Amino acid sequence: MKYPLRISLCGFGGQGIVLSAVILGTAAVTKGNKYVVQTQSYGSEARGGQCQSELIIDEKPINSPIAEKKNVLIALFQDAYEKYIPALEEDGILVIDPDLVTNIVRPVETTFELPATQIAVDIGNRMTANMVVLGFLSECLGIINKDDLLEVVKDNVADRFKEINTKAVEAGIEYAKEHNMYHRS
Amino acid sequence: MADIKINPRRKYLRPEKLPHFFCSGCGCGQVLNYYTQALEELDMDPEKMVHIGGVGCTARIPVYIKTDMLHGVHGRTLAWATGIKMMKPDLPVVIFAGDGDLVSIGGNHMIQAARRNLDVTVVMVDNMNFAMTGGQVAPTTPEESVTMTTPYGSAEPRFDTCRLAIAAGATHVERWTTADRVQCKDAMKRALQHKGFSLIEIVSQCPTHYGRYALGTGDPQKVIDWIKDHTYKLTTADSISEEEKSGKLPCGEFYRVSRPIYQGTTVMSGKEDK
Amino acid sequence: MPKKKASKERVLSGVHFMLGNYATVEGAISAGCNYFAGYPITPANEISERMSQRLPQVGGKFVQGEDELCSVFSLAGAALAGGKVMTATASAGYNYMQEGLGYCYAIEAPMVIVDVQRTRGDNFASQADVYQMRYGASGDYEAIVVCPSSVQELYDYTIWAFNLAEEYRNPVIVMSETTIALMRERLDIPTADKIELYDRRYTKKTPDEYHPFEALANQCPEAAPIGEGYHTIYSLNPHDEYGNIDWDPIVFDNLYKRVTGKITENADKICRTESYMMDDADYAIVTYGSEFRPSIDAVETARKEGIKLGVLKLCNVWPVPENAICEVAGNVKKIFSVEMNLGKYVREIERASKNKCEVVSVTKNRGFVHTTDEIMTEIRKGVL
Repeated sequence: MKYPLRISLCGFGGQGIVLSAVILGTAAVTKGNKYVVQTQSYGSEARGGQCQSELIIDEKPINSPIAEKKNVLIALFQDAYEKYIPALEEDGILVIDPDLVTNIVRPVETTFELPATQIAVDIGNRMTANMVVLGFLSECLGIINKDDLLEVVKDNVADRFKEINTKAVEAGIEYAKEHNMYHRS
Repeated sequence: MADIKINPRRKYLRPEKLPHFFCSGCGCGQVLNYYTQALEELDMDPEKMVHIGGVGCTARIPVYIKTDMLHGVHGRTLAWATGIKMMKPDLPVVIFAGDGDLVSIGGNHMIQAARRNLDVTVVMVDNMNFAMTGGQVAPTTPEESVTMTTPYGSAEPRFDTCRLAIAAGATHVERWTTADRVQCKDAMKRALQHKGFSLIEIVSQCPTHYGRYALGTGDPQKVIDWIKDHTYKLTTADSISEEEKSGKLPCGEFYRVSRPIYQGTTVMSGKEDK
Repeated sequence: MPKKKASKERVLSGVHFMLGNYATVEGAISAGCNYFAGYPITPANEISERMSQRLPQVGGKFVQGEDELCSVFSLAGAALAGGKVMTATASAGYNYMQEGLGYCYAIEAPMVIVDVQRTRGDNFASQADVYQMRYGASGDYEAIVVCPSSVQELYDYTIWAFNLAEEYRNPVIVMSETTIALMRERLDIPTADKIELYDRRYTKKTPDEYHPFEALANQCPEAAPIGEGYHTIYSLNPHDEYGNIDWDPIVFDNLYKRVTGKITENADKICRTESYMMDDADYAIVTYGSEFRPSIDAVETARKEGIKLGVLKLCNVWPVPENAICEVAGNVKKIFSVEMNLGKYVREIERASKNKCEVVSVTKNRGFVHTTDEIMTEIRKGVL
């Protein structure tokens, strides 16, 4: 993996965007011994449904907390996708939920279509789409290993949701494997 | 030569601060007197207590008491007391506040402290106006009174502080006047022994301002007589017609109940699910 | 100053990925904070929320006051009653607290106040209150204001703030802001034995010997416990060394000279700065808080372009680290003052520079910290 890695996760409120960013960051710091800065869109522009969280992951301390260009954009909602796609680098990686992002305004060479919401519905809880995404990122990009991720997920969700969230992470991993969706740089 | 007798309750005071600065005929001196009687009868040592005064004439009462004392900001007496009681729950805290301090600028603090049942004693000296600043209208000024800021009479209704305190959740509420020497002292004793929020309102004469502007007299006795005419005792309430009660404040022990005291906004019971 | 180590059960030693506001709380808990009062306001709410959870766990008290005045005045009461106390608010809430702060400066109550600066009405980032931190209350006093630039420093500087508050018996402001408060970042919490804390200096004198506000010109007085016979008047009004309220001009003079002198005379001991690439620098950025972060990246970019740029980071803005700024001014051609407002603290930097070099004000008040590019644009213009 080439650092610094600048990731943007976006969607709408209630999809667990911020939680997934927090889990990814926690795993990178506490398990991967990396430096991470995580911020979220705040202020009135983030209201009305849209939600975005940014992560910068690096091997050394991170100074400027604002990364104008992102290497990775994960978009789970059309409006959010349109808003944040301009910030993706030309050679960046785009991950979309094809059921919720249907109109591609700027084709990106490395695009992965992950039907995270449908996968989550299939395993029994729509709310776990964010965990499907985390599992997928773990397998596809190799930014964090599966066991570390699962441990952090368990630490960050309520007892009664541990099992379903674990299942969701594993489903995301499986999806990447089945469809041979890998990008390792 | 006659023996010079020293008031035995002078031991509670700061001799270097005397004589006090209250106007002659002011009720604050009486209140200080009743309070030291209450301390003496309960054998309480003000040095082992904290007293609080905000800003105003009443706020000066504890300045004369030999005690740890917070003073000099208007209306925040109960906020100070909240911090003290959280750190030292067993330390008795007594607040002397004027009507302006307690129910005008400090009104919300009073309501919230009463709601929480903060374990303090509040002695409110209600002289019916802002006296230290020269006699302006207060929330406790009777309607139609002429004051320095109501030259055409006050067009505002008057606060009934005791009813307000009871509604807010105070667990011990009494009202008396400076003319009720024994009742004031006994009320203060009950307050000092009460676990929870006690409010003792003492309607008091301000001959200098309220007397001169609203009542047309600077004679303390006449102002006290006016107060007597405009209050009635709960004990005799049944024998007074509603018409006679109109515009008059009832005096007596209104309310005294037991309820858990404030220990913080969230308190671990030890049963929490970890 | 009596010193001791932090207590083990209060310190969450280890590596964390933590929200800035939470790191502030953990700093306070590590420092021995046992009383917090706050009133809801974004973006400081996470501080109150975590405090409400953490303080009862360590035997402390949490109060959600009815307003900011309750918060700050209850802090005064709790501090006098022996507590190590903190509140947190954000710009508009800090306005309300000025009344109480004035009292706390006057009676010399140790406390920590966190101001998570924001723009008016919303949670965008800003450093526009840098002067209010210092000059908000009425009367003569000196403030101590520390400026963390990261989640780690929110933890570290909060402990520092508690120690300064005890050492100088003064309110200490932690100048936070949205950028770092709502950011999650790596936080390394050391073991308790690595954290040194200052204890309050209590008098050993008897009540008869004790003069509550007597101290040397550059020092704070010893504290006495309340309710134990020391019969002290803690008044906002001018008071002499015995605590007597007195409007004598000489009493004014002695009191105000001492309460300001205990800070100004010790400014060199209080002030901390950090230098980056300053040894051979022709140009310097002087900055504070989160603006330090893009400034460091600007140094890297500038050096690649052949511009010998360095950074002087002010770890505290009040008292002004005058000597450090003056020294830099004597060694460079130009100072760039980078801050997230329309140019405030630049006046202090100009003053401290004593005309030894030109000072350029690099400003931004658009809701976000400068980007490195934005700073570089000004640097390139400035070195032409």
